[in-house]
Amino acid sequence: MVKKRILLVGFLITLLIFVTIYFTNIILNKQREDAIDERMTSLIENYEEMQTLSMMSNLFGEEGTCLIMQAQLLNMNKEIWETGRKIDQYRTITEEFMDDPFYLEQKRRFNLNEALYFSLLEQMKKSCEVNQTTLLFFYQKKENCPDCDAQSFVLTDIRHEFDEELAIFSFDADLDLAPVAILAQYYNLTEYPCTIVEDTAHCGLYDKDDMMDILCNTSYFSECSDNP
Amino acid sequence: MNPAYLGLVYFVWFLSTYFIVVLILSLIEYKEELFISPALDKNDILPNVSIIISAFNEEESISASLDSLLQLDYPKEKVEIIVVNDGSTDNTREAVQPYTENSHIHFIDNTSNKGKAACLNQGIAAATGEYVACMDADSVVDPQILKKTVPYFKNKKTGAVTVTVLVKNPKNFLEKVIELEYILGLSLFLKIYSLFNTIQVTPGPFSIYRKSVVDEIGGFDVTNITEDLEIAYRIHKAKYIIAFCMTTFVKTIIPNNFTGLYRQRRRWYTGAIQTAVQHRNMFFTSEYGIFGYFVPFNFAIIILGLVLFILSQYLLVTNIIKNISLFALTNYNFLAFLSLREFDPLALSIFGFFGISSICMTLLTLIIGMRFARQSLRTRIPGSVGFVFMFFLYQLFWFVSLYTALTKRKIRW
Repeated sequence: MVKKRILLVGFLITLLIFVTIYFTNIILNKQREDAIDERMTSLIENYEEMQTLSMMSNLFGEEGTCLIMQAQLLNMNKEIWETGRKIDQYRTITEEFMDDPFYLEQKRRFNLNEALYFSLLEQMKKSCEVNQTTLLFFYQKKENCPDCDAQSFVLTDIRHEFDEELAIFSFDADLDLAPVAILAQYYNLTEYPCTIVEDTAHCGLYDKDDMMDILCNTSYFSECSDNP
Repeated sequence: MNPAYLGLVYFVWFLSTYFIVVLILSLIEYKEELFISPALDKNDILPNVSIIISAFNEEESISASLDSLLQLDYPKEKVEIIVVNDGSTDNTREAVQPYTENSHIHFIDNTSNKGKAACLNQGIAAATGEYVACMDADSVVDPQILKKTVPYFKNKKTGAVTVTVLVKNPKNFLEKVIELEYILGLSLFLKIYSLFNTIQVTPGPFSIYRKSVVDEIGGFDVTNITEDLEIAYRIHKAKYIIAFCMTTFVKTIIPNNFTGLYRQRRRWYTGAIQTAVQHRNMFFTSEYGIFGYFVPFNFAIIILGLVLFILSQYLLVTNIIKNISLFALTNYNFLAFLSLREFDPLALSIFGFFGISSICMTLLTLIIGMRFARQSLRTRIPGSVGFVFMFFLYQLFWFVSLYTALTKRKIRW
């Protein structure tokens, strides 16, 4: 009788521990989603502010607004990069893994925001003489693009070295987003991964040295020994 | 995440956690009984006991074993010691020779190597005692060992009694880790198993048997590489009990290096698999009580755990290979990678929780186990650290043993 009780109580305790872990994970899932939501909301607020500033510069002239916009863009560059990283990090630990609907939706929003940010930056470069080089990175899922992960890894390393001098935008071509499709069409992309540095497409996998050469031959970077 | 892999993680975690929780609950429930042994009455007549030592190349340790037996607190005329030389190629014969002058010590000198089980059977055949104790030649016993174990046989259903196995003079790190394993695995847990009548082994360093039971079941199986484990199954099969006595002990020598430990565990685990297969008709039947369910449950944890371990290692290795090839693209710029790492509690996945809970359960078992075994943990801190991570080594040993058993490779004792 005592032995049966031990076996039963043992089962219940184990079940309790399991349920505790399972629900703690659900709570954390919710917190992860909230954290991403918060970051996205903050990004959207920044975009709205930027759009307002852009409109104002058209109306009242660029002198007063350019400096503010430049500072704002630098801050956003960092924020957008961090948000992208967090989405990818949290996405991999969900039960549905890369197909988790929440993170797929966030990825779509993130790509749209990036397209918006890229457009704003390009516009600003013309009007405010911003010296930030832009790099567009187009990728597909691993099954269709075995080298995309590797290229992303190289760009993460380069982003770390070049910091604010380089703005990297990564676009998921599998999400079927119209702005991404327009960009892909504009640059005439036929294969992935593909990296666009200042309007020139470099498709295929490039290691760090090759990518540094491309960047250093295109723009001025403090990291480069041979600047153009 | 692959649902099959996730399901396997859940299932293995649940089974192994349940096993540990039941062990801890049993310890708490039976804490008063752990160190209680049946005592001899004043009118009890002490029975004759034959102690059999099978020795193969034991010139360095056999004297200590025999000396410890000569110190037994038991009437000398009721103890018979039979040393069986298993064709030793060293000076074991010469080491035993001086002891043969004692009329209670008999020496069977085999010139060829027969194997441990055959030598023990030879000793049992020559034994005149009502009980036979089998002992390893590299072990030393507590002087009280017979007085403490013999009373268990008052219960007519008791077929064998085993005792606490301790490590003799643990010196290096590996020995200190294994010492903890012996205190828990070959002492405390065996005691708990005995309360459920589920002991699966009568350890070789010292176990005492009712001779009539050993004769009834036909002695040790000479074809089995873990004869002390196999005989336990047949004792259960013959419907006898295996009792465990925690109030006395035997100290034994253990492997002091990885190669020695690997060889020992490969033999133990391969033998355990072969024995379970040999006696599979005992499983999932109420005829043998909890034993019939406990053994397959135990093997389910081991085998599923092993499958999970192999899958996880495969994922880990492929990930490492992938990362190395990625780092090659950035001229192995590890510093940049490390500077991007940050502590984020939200990044803890459910696997992380399972891993942390498993480590906590192991630590809890260690702390509670040492407390109930009345042993100090404070003086064994380095061993404790190793104990928590021995899991990985055991998985490796089980993997090799499973392969050895499946391919039916021969292992020498």
